[in-house]
Amino acid sequence: MSSVPHAHDHDHAHGHDHAHGHGHDHDHGHGHGGGYGGIMRWITTTNHKDIGTLYLWFSFTMFMVGGVMAMAIRLELFSPGLQFFNPDLFNQFTTMHGLIMVFGAIMPAFVGFANWQIPMMIGAPDMAFARLNNWSFWLLPFAASLLVLSFFTPGGAPGVGWTMYAPLTVQMGMGMDLTIFAVHILGMSSILGSINIITTILNMRAPGMTLMRMPLFVWTWLITAYLLVAAMPVLAGAVTMTLTDRHFGTTFFNAAGGGDPVLYQHIFWFFGHPEVYIIALPAFGVISQVIPAFSRKPLFGYASMVYATSAIAIISFIVWAHHMYTVGMPVTGQLFFMYATMIIAVPTGVKVFNWVATMWKGSLTFETPMLFALGFLFLFTLGGFTGLVLSIVPVDIQLQDTYYVVAHFHYVMVAGALFSAFAGIYFWLPKWTGKMYDETLGKWHFWLTLIFFNMIFFVQHFLGLAGMPRRIPDYPLMFETWNKISSIGAFGFGLSQLLLLYVVLKCIRSGEPAPQKPWEGADSLEWTHLPTPVPYHTFETQPVLK
Amino acid sequence: MAMSKNLKTALLLGTIALAFFFGIIAKYWLLRR
Repeated sequence: MSSVPHAHDHDHAHGHDHAHGHGHDHDHGHGHGGGYGGIMRWITTTNHKDIGTLYLWFSFTMFMVGGVMAMAIRLELFSPGLQFFNPDLFNQFTTMHGLIMVFGAIMPAFVGFANWQIPMMIGAPDMAFARLNNWSFWLLPFAASLLVLSFFTPGGAPGVGWTMYAPLTVQMGMGMDLTIFAVHILGMSSILGSINIITTILNMRAPGMTLMRMPLFVWTWLITAYLLVAAMPVLAGAVTMTLTDRHFGTTFFNAAGGGDPVLYQHIFWFFGHPEVYIIALPAFGVISQVIPAFSRKPLFGYASMVYATSAIAIISFIVWAHHMYTVGMPVTGQLFFMYATMIIAVPTGVKVFNWVATMWKGSLTFETPMLFALGFLFLFTLGGFTGLVLSIVPVDIQLQDTYYVVAHFHYVMVAGALFSAFAGIYFWLPKWTGKMYDETLGKWHFWLTLIFFNMIFFVQHFLGLAGMPRRIPDYPLMFETWNKISSIGAFGFGLSQLLLLYVVLKCIRSGEPAPQKPWEGADSLEWTHLPTPVPYHTFETQPVLK
Repeated sequence: MAMSKNLKTALLLGTIALAFFFGIIAKYWLLRR
């Protein structure tokens, strides 16, 4: 698949469990990446593992950049009154924090997992379009640079919120244009990546790897990729219309010219709600690999997991207006979107039930990946419950744009997606690096993350219920105590993530050698068919599953 | 030239994505209320 020259060291990794096969590994003398060394290896690589690694490091970098903005937000909110930033800059921080975390940190993290894991899990030698894969990644640093550079344009970064609502977007300076182009590029990267993932999964599975034998992680990514192909172009269309409103005399979203700002909200959230599941479904996939491995049992209700994931994906396209109950839609519209939203709880409940049932009477151990998976299970479910609360129209009308909403979606995005990403990193790190991470430090990372996460966001439910609005840099004195606790939690959370960096670097530099299958209950192909560390090229000869 | 199965899949998906992109703009460009 890649342009690495041929040589002669073959590494046969024979399978054990339900399949047999071997991966011929031509790792030939000239090192990795088509004979290039140093930085050129990474720029020119077409290897899915290299590109996965690039995605993961890019994601971590953006996690730090977005995290610094979160620290700035919490610093300002530590006390009532304006302390450090003017309200405009505060709005710019909230906007860029959201955009960078969603498009720069969380999504690329799971694309990184997909790149590393999907070919190995389905017995494919690489992704279907290896060069396209390289381009999908290398679009990202340019998009991220545009986002960050927007701070240095006249007027600064856009202060419109990550949702980029009209008519504010029409009034912003040129930072808005940079952001629009960044969103275009990010969207292009996601769509190309998704096409690659779908093609790989549909066309390149090993003989015997039927759709209903695929690991759940592969299933969730297949469905996510379809969501991306359908939803991302809609966002691209919305920001293109914003661009033409700004510069080319159209009035799609400008009431002065006969347009409708609410139309933007409808189009944005037609993308925006599937986007929630674009982030959540791969997270579900990781958890569905980790929990069975540490329960030493097969996943309970495999088929129902597949159907539940599909159901969530389909329903996610008919619930978008629950984000905009207060725009003045008809009661029948509110009722439709309320009930549709509540229905999503059914397949989600099926998944939570299945994860718990997988653990039931299992032989459980609690290594770091399992701890993060359990943290996910408790906290994501809590985020799901507050989502149900917010789906109720009269309640949402009270809580719209309060910190209750901020708390809710951070339980889904951080305790859901980020905890799952951490679980996946600790789970697959031995396979990726060939070395074991420091279990004690990993557990420290988990407990510190768990405690500080709840310090930040649990108390924000109280602030929201008491009426504190989001995206405002100042607040009345009565909100001070919870805000102080939340800010201290944020600083602790931020510092705790440096521990993850240390654990990963320590693992790469001086970790103990990892066995082929360090997790007793793990049963997918990367554990059963491939040695540790995984050779640069795998499955050049297709494995055949019985 | 015969197209590979992978290329056919990718072109189909790419067409769907482009249809959504241009479709949403065209809908509100041409069908103004």
